[in-house]
Amino acid sequence: MKILLAEDDFASRKFMDKMLSQYGECDVMVDGEEAVDAFMMALEDEEPYDLACLDVMMPVMDGYQVLKAIRDIEAQRGIPKNKRLKVIMTTALNEERNVKMAFELGCEAYAGKPIDVEKFEKVLEKLGLL
Amino acid sequence: MAEELKEEELLEEDTQKGKFMTFQTGKEYFGISISYVNEIIAMQPITAIPEVDDYIKGLINLRGKIIPVIDVRVRFKMEPKEYTDRTCIIVIDVKSTVIGLIVEKIAEVDTIMDDDVIPPPTLGHHEHNKYVYGLARTGDTMKLLIDPEKLIKQDDMNMLETMQDNEE
Amino acid sequence: MAEEFNTESMLSVFLYESDQLLEKLEGIILEKQDADCFDDSDINDIFRVMHTIKGSSGVMMYENITKASHKLEDIFYYLRESHPEDVPHMELVEKVLAVSDFITSELDKIKNGETPDGDESKLVEDLDEFLSRIKGEIKKQGIRLPKENKQVEPNQFYIMPVAEENSHFYRIVIHYKNDTQMSNIRAYSATYALKGVAEDLLYTPEDILSNEASADTILVEGFHMYLQTKASKEEVLKLIDSSEAESIDFDEITAAEYGQDLVHLGRPDVPIVINLDDNAQPAKETKAAPMPGDYVVKTKEAGKGKTLAKNQPKQQSIISVNVEKMDSLMDLIGELVIAEAVVLQNPDLKVPGLELTNFQKASAQLSKITTELQEVIMSMRMMPLSNTFQKMRRIVFDVSRKLGKDIELEVVGENTEVDKNIIEHISDPLMHLVRNSVDHGIEENAEQRTAAGKPAKGKITLEAKNEGGKVYISVRDDGKGLDKEKLYQKALDNGLIENKPISEFQDKEIYRFITLPGFSTKEVVTEYSGRGVGMDVVVKNIQDIGGRLDITSELGHGSEMTLVIPLTLAIINGIIVRVGDSPFVIETASIKQFVRLGEDALIQEPNGEEYVVLRGDCFPFIRLNEKYELPNSQTSIDDGIVVVLEHEGRQVCVLIDSLLQEQEIVVKPIPPYVKKVKGISGCTQLGDGSIALILDIGGLILDEERR
Repeated sequence: MKILLAEDDFASRKFMDKMLSQYGECDVMVDGEEAVDAFMMALEDEEPYDLACLDVMMPVMDGYQVLKAIRDIEAQRGIPKNKRLKVIMTTALNEERNVKMAFELGCEAYAGKPIDVEKFEKVLEKLGLL
Repeated sequence: MAEELKEEELLEEDTQKGKFMTFQTGKEYFGISISYVNEIIAMQPITAIPEVDDYIKGLINLRGKIIPVIDVRVRFKMEPKEYTDRTCIIVIDVKSTVIGLIVEKIAEVDTIMDDDVIPPPTLGHHEHNKYVYGLARTGDTMKLLIDPEKLIKQDDMNMLETMQDNEE
Repeated sequence: MAEEFNTESMLSVFLYESDQLLEKLEGIILEKQDADCFDDSDINDIFRVMHTIKGSSGVMMYENITKASHKLEDIFYYLRESHPEDVPHMELVEKVLAVSDFITSELDKIKNGETPDGDESKLVEDLDEFLSRIKGEIKKQGIRLPKENKQVEPNQFYIMPVAEENSHFYRIVIHYKNDTQMSNIRAYSATYALKGVAEDLLYTPEDILSNEASADTILVEGFHMYLQTKASKEEVLKLIDSSEAESIDFDEITAAEYGQDLVHLGRPDVPIVINLDDNAQPAKETKAAPMPGDYVVKTKEAGKGKTLAKNQPKQQSIISVNVEKMDSLMDLIGELVIAEAVVLQNPDLKVPGLELTNFQKASAQLSKITTELQEVIMSMRMMPLSNTFQKMRRIVFDVSRKLGKDIELEVVGENTEVDKNIIEHISDPLMHLVRNSVDHGIEENAEQRTAAGKPAKGKITLEAKNEGGKVYISVRDDGKGLDKEKLYQKALDNGLIENKPISEFQDKEIYRFITLPGFSTKEVVTEYSGRGVGMDVVVKNIQDIGGRLDITSELGHGSEMTLVIPLTLAIINGIIVRVGDSPFVIETASIKQFVRLGEDALIQEPNGEEYVVLRGDCFPFIRLNEKYELPNSQTSIDDGIVVVLEHEGRQVCVLIDSLLQEQEIVVKPIPPYVKKVKGISGCTQLGDGSIALILDIGGLILDEERR
């Protein structure tokens, strides 16, 4: 599985990288713009990611903007819903309005930090990634 | 900057350390650590409360807050005295219980260091001994240092003890 | 609910919404429990409730809740699509309540921070069995089965953050030895070592890597770090290389101090950034819904935390207020009412010949505003009784079914509003009364009822109304009624009353026997009432909030228990009276009349007790001045005024010196240091700043009776 991780905080990044690496190859980005670039590049190379984990609070573009950009690009390219990138937001923002917005923008899951690894894995299962 | 703040706090604590508000009742002088003292106010009209211990003189209105006042003389089982112009009320705060102490006369603020405090004699039958945790000499007078927590504590325990004593 | 204004965490929104839905569900069920079947709109409502809970619990990944609610949704799906006849209604009601109870108990676990691990399989099996019967019935009735209600797996999930241990906050200052080379690099190593455990780390000087001069600063002032972490002191110390350090000052500080320090460091704290636990956010402001782009972070500077590039827009519309703040506002308004009285009744105004026309106009305006202000704050604290009544429905339902009684509950006036504080106090007493009615009030079985010429189905009426500043909540049943003879005998046997013939007691007095401690009319203690803690506790709880319990009954026709409670606790209408030098307040509502009486109205018993005879009735007589040893008071009845007071049907006469005035009284408690005085319920501050004690008529009468 090919994973895209966008996380600007060093400690979180280290943790997430370690956790995600057991499921597959993990590319690590440190801000939102890099994340969108990486997503585009993978599309161009026809080796798209299977999963993206996006932090919300990031420099240049926040996680919501990244998510929106990804979904827009997918729509423009006519990628069907079941083929699109699975996105899990990973953030410490646990207010309902944040979660709701992320759902509306079309993420698959929203994981509050610190992440419940067990449930995270369950979600990967449900998303058909494991 | 944080360090400075801390020092200031320490300083404030320092200025309070060893400071005692002293007052006179009869011939004796008493001291109470200034850290308990909120303020000193002039005598006020007191609303008596029926059916309470005699040393609880009643309630006063301290800027909208209603607080009980007790007469220190009566508390020490001394003969009550008429209140005069010099009578005043020391408002103390002991573990969030705010209470006024009616005292005959405020003396002054004295500095008494821990080393100067000697324990009270264990013998003797003065009623106020219960509330005094130490003696200290400043100038030419001996001050009896009061433990306010014991002073405001009500006598249930004592009563129980006496009852048990009587039974024996 | 205006969701766009919600700043609650995902979890609390889920809990809140589920609670609301379950409440709605129970409401429907209990209302229709006695009907023959649910109508279309009920079925639709229940279906939708279950559908919503299924969906949201799916997102939250509470699978047992999802499964149970899905099954019930399924049942209602078939009912909705096929409209089969002869659905066993009572069984269905029980099934719905079983699911609702299951979900409630799981939600309770979540609220308590436990894992919702309840096993739903038995419940689902039950529901499955029921569903297959329904399906069979549908086929038998020749109705075509609808398409399978396919469960759409939720496609979005919320992964809850794992419960965190509380973070520690440390202030660490490292002083390096004077000859330490490149202390800035050592300092950097220290920060680097801590990054693994740090939730937040700040340090000063900040420019340790980019500015070599910082080494000198560190040598002089030490290297200061502020660390938020879950690690213990020992763990943190182990991480710091102390080889060149002369000393390491290590302080654990509170979160507040930590925040302070951050401010001192010139980092205005953005709570979202360091606060991983959003529950800790003290003030819940209303913010507009977030937008993509709101959370872009400015590039991090060394030693500084994140700052959001775009400030969170604030928009004021609806705010939720902490109850404590409401209470303190209430207190302040109380103070204002007092201050108003101080001004308007100021002795300075009593100088003869003073021209006060304008003053009086202005003061009338002021009074109007303070009164309005009081009303507004009162109305803000008012809540309808409907939630409390809802609980009673469930109790009637549960208890009557367990006891095998057929009882219908009628609810009247559930929208009556009462002060929030009072609602909290009446829920338990009311529950007790309702249980009593179901258990003892209504006859054991339908035969007894039909034999007495009553409908087989028992009826309990729960009624609330608001009259004259009081709220009346009554529980009325059409059952057996109270048997005066039995009550009398029982009270006599238990030694609770004086030995005098029953004819000397009024009906009301006899009914009140059941409120005496140690009285229980039921020989057999049942599961639902009559556990010894009985009516006396109810009465005590009600008296604590200044209310009373009225009991009326007719043998063979039923009983009625009425709670009479004040609308609010904080402000009462009172008359200020004077006894000697002391002012007292008597609540206006308890005063029957004022009379002047002569010595001839007095009867003195040899033991010193006194009575007053007034229009042929005899009342106990209390001289307040003697009772409370008040100096400078009238001692003769000729000079004073006799006040006739009534409390819970008992009357007493009290001698006072004079009447001062009537006004609104802000009730304040007697400071707890002073022990409870019998007959005094509180105190208040009068217009001249002096303090008056408030008479507690109930306590006074009780005290008198004990003598």
